[in-house]
Amino acid sequence: MAGSALKRLMAEYKQLTLNPPEGIIAGPVDEENFFEWEALIMGPQDTCFEGGVFPARLTFPPDYPLGPPKMKFSCDIFHPNIYPDGRVCISILHAPGDDPMGYETSAERWSPVQSVEKILLSVVSMLAEPNDESAANVDAAKTWRDDRKGFEEIAKVTVRKSLGL
Amino acid sequence: MSLVINMPALILERLPLPSLQTYISFSVVMLGLASFYAHQTVNTILNFNPDNQIQEELGLPQELVNITLPYDRDEHFLNMVYIMRVETWCIWTLVNSCYCLLILFGKLIQNVVFGELRVIEKQHLKDKFWNFIFYKFIFIFGVMNVQSMEEVVLWLAWFSGLGFLHLLTQLCKDRFEYLSFSPATPRYAHVKLLSLLLVILLTSGVVLVGCFWVGINISLTIFAFLAAESLLLILKCLYVVVRYIIQLWDMSLEGVWESRAMYVYYTELIFELVSLSVDFSHHLHMLLYGNIFLSMASLVICMQLRFLFYEFQRRVKKHKNYLKVVKEMESKFSMATQEDLEQNSDDCAICWEKMESARKLPCGHLFHNSCLRSWLEQDSSCPTCRTRLSETTERDGRNPGAPGVPNMAEGIVAPVNPATTNHFFHFDGSRYVSWLPSFSVEVTHTNLLPGQQAHATQTSQLDNMAREVQAVFPHIPQQVIMEDLRLTRSVDLTIDNILEGRITVPPLAITGSGHQRNDSHSSISGSSTTSEVSSLASDSPRVNNIPLNNLDNSLQLTEGSSERIRQSENQENSYTTTGGRFSKSATERMSMLESRKHLMLEQARRRYQEMHENQEGASSSSVDPPLIYTTSEHLRQIHSESSTLSTQEDELSRRRALLLQATQRRLERQTD
Ligand SMILES: [Zn+2]
Ligand SMILES: [Zn+2]
Repeated sequence: MAGSALKRLMAEYKQLTLNPPEGIIAGPVDEENFFEWEALIMGPQDTCFEGGVFPARLTFPPDYPLGPPKMKFSCDIFHPNIYPDGRVCISILHAPGDDPMGYETSAERWSPVQSVEKILLSVVSMLAEPNDESAANVDAAKTWRDDRKGFEEIAKVTVRKSLGL
Repeated sequence: MSLVINMPALILERLPLPSLQTYISFSVVMLGLASFYAHQTVNTILNFNPDNQIQEELGLPQELVNITLPYDRDEHFLNMVYIMRVETWCIWTLVNSCYCLLILFGKLIQNVVFGELRVIEKQHLKDKFWNFIFYKFIFIFGVMNVQSMEEVVLWLAWFSGLGFLHLLTQLCKDRFEYLSFSPATPRYAHVKLLSLLLVILLTSGVVLVGCFWVGINISLTIFAFLAAESLLLILKCLYVVVRYIIQLWDMSLEGVWESRAMYVYYTELIFELVSLSVDFSHHLHMLLYGNIFLSMASLVICMQLRFLFYEFQRRVKKHKNYLKVVKEMESKFSMATQEDLEQNSDDCAICWEKMESARKLPCGHLFHNSCLRSWLEQDSSCPTCRTRLSETTERDGRNPGAPGVPNMAEGIVAPVNPATTNHFFHFDGSRYVSWLPSFSVEVTHTNLLPGQQAHATQTSQLDNMAREVQAVFPHIPQQVIMEDLRLTRSVDLTIDNILEGRITVPPLAITGSGHQRNDSHSSISGSSTTSEVSSLASDSPRVNNIPLNNLDNSLQLTEGSSERIRQSENQENSYTTTGGRFSKSATERMSMLESRKHLMLEQARRRYQEMHENQEGASSSSVDPPLIYTTSEHLRQIHSESSTLSTQEDELSRRRALLLQATQRRLERQTD
């Protein structure tokens, strides 16, 4: 399967290079392995993550795009939909078969018409609007719901750290 | 009850194994000793005259007297070999020497074909290796119940050769999969790998012929054992070759090769089923031949049989599902008409390639035949609009951990999970007889770490070097420096390359380069630094003047620095949003991507700092002198280091010092 996956990934890489969406850069970590990407995501404006640049790793399965990639932030980020180890939990990254949270309709889940760009855009909107119904980080969800000020303070520290300042 | 027996492998791997060189020298010394011993013995025996009565006085060992050499005096070497075959320790020395040669041969192949092995490849090799040892040990002592020394040595030779070929095939398979992950693999890499595969295939073919000879001359049972194993090797190797050829053919084609997926599917299916059945009958044969019911070996073999059977069943079930999907698809969804294709200007949403022919779903969406089929195998809705297409399509779970028995197969079916570092065999005895214990044998691969560490230290060394260089030339993106350092492996050489303009900085990176300085309102902007550098490189006598002129310009510029910053920010913005071009060369693409990332981060940092400065009332004008000093200190260091080098480099460092002094003078005048 690797052959067709490679062609598709190449096409996506090309598109993301020629027409990058605002605040998103993505590409292979090393072209010797096209199935491992790094993405930089800018925190969306007018949110508590504004100004941060968050690096994340995308790992594609050999049968991509039939299966979704895995995404993991490589910096610390405190967010209801991001596991403490950095893995991102959004419905677009879930294969149609599995539903760990039991909340999603299959319409929101992975399908081959999705793409890296769409994933990253979903992640940006997830950063802007956390979904505390299907929480991956319970602490973060709680803080976000009950103590918005505290959440924003933590986010500010995250932003600062992500810039290496 | 469940206990974990860690195989001796664990201990073995933790032991500090001797280095290859130590081992080789040890083997050579042992071989030398053995030959010397044999030589001496032959001489003693030959010189011994039975009629001579001084035999007792010479103290000749009694057992040697009984040895009669099979060859005459002239064939000294053959006599030596004979002696070596008689003495036990000599035999083991010879065996050891053979292993030494095999290891050297393996190293040679690795160097020629593979180069540095990747971590995952090493791990698979180790996995396979211990797995192989485990099963063959059971085979030799459990099934064959080998007693005599000669037989042990023969079996050892057979399995060593076989294992060697198996490991090489595994390595080829891993490397092939890795190479197919990259579009920019040079042709010769493919050629090397394919030729190695063909050599393995040829060798195993010869081995199979040898098995027939054994079958005719020695015993049919042994023949069946040997033939099954070499057949498995051939199948595994042939599978990789066929997949490889399909892959290369596909890569060389433009556009979509519609029936490719089908070829791949059927190759996999056929090879899997054939090798599963060969493996199954091989194990069944073992069980029946060994007459070893209710022994440890029979349990292991039974488990393996069960696993192989489930694997076979699973595969057949999967294939049935596949056939069903194909049939359903062909009957329900018609091929798109030419008209449909013309109306639809989009590419196939699954593979993003043009559609010359397509299937049309009831919802009106078009896809390639092969793309749609592989999607329908796992889901039964339209990928684009999610309309349910059928209620009956049985979804074949994509979760790989379906069967309860972990994989113990040697065959090509082994699905390899790169994430786990443990390999374990689980035995659930209570399934057979209630009082039997359950246990698992676990081989933990702790050796994975050193390799990674080595890699990490290597990169961190490079990082440090890059930091050093960047302290001198902050305007050059780190990626560019790293790239050069990877070639030169020396801070000095890279600095010289920069000074002499041998390093080309992508133009966009230069635009963004000045900001590190602008942040702290320092006076040297990136562009002026580069021009200084280029003027230094040219052999002009006005070395002092040109940089100063440039500095003038840059200093004037910094007076209106806020305006300048805003300008460059606009440039950057337009850059990140419009993106660059998509280069054809992989390295250029990489460096462009890297500089784009770098730029984004720089830009974000500056914005952040600006925002915070505004908040705090901006009071940070006294930051620049220390920055200059650190730079100058670096330059001084470089000066003192390079003074030991040739005169040409002396000249360069003198110029650097001149530049430095000039810069400092200028700065002082400016602050006055
Ligand atoms: Zn397609
Ligand atoms: Zn549809």
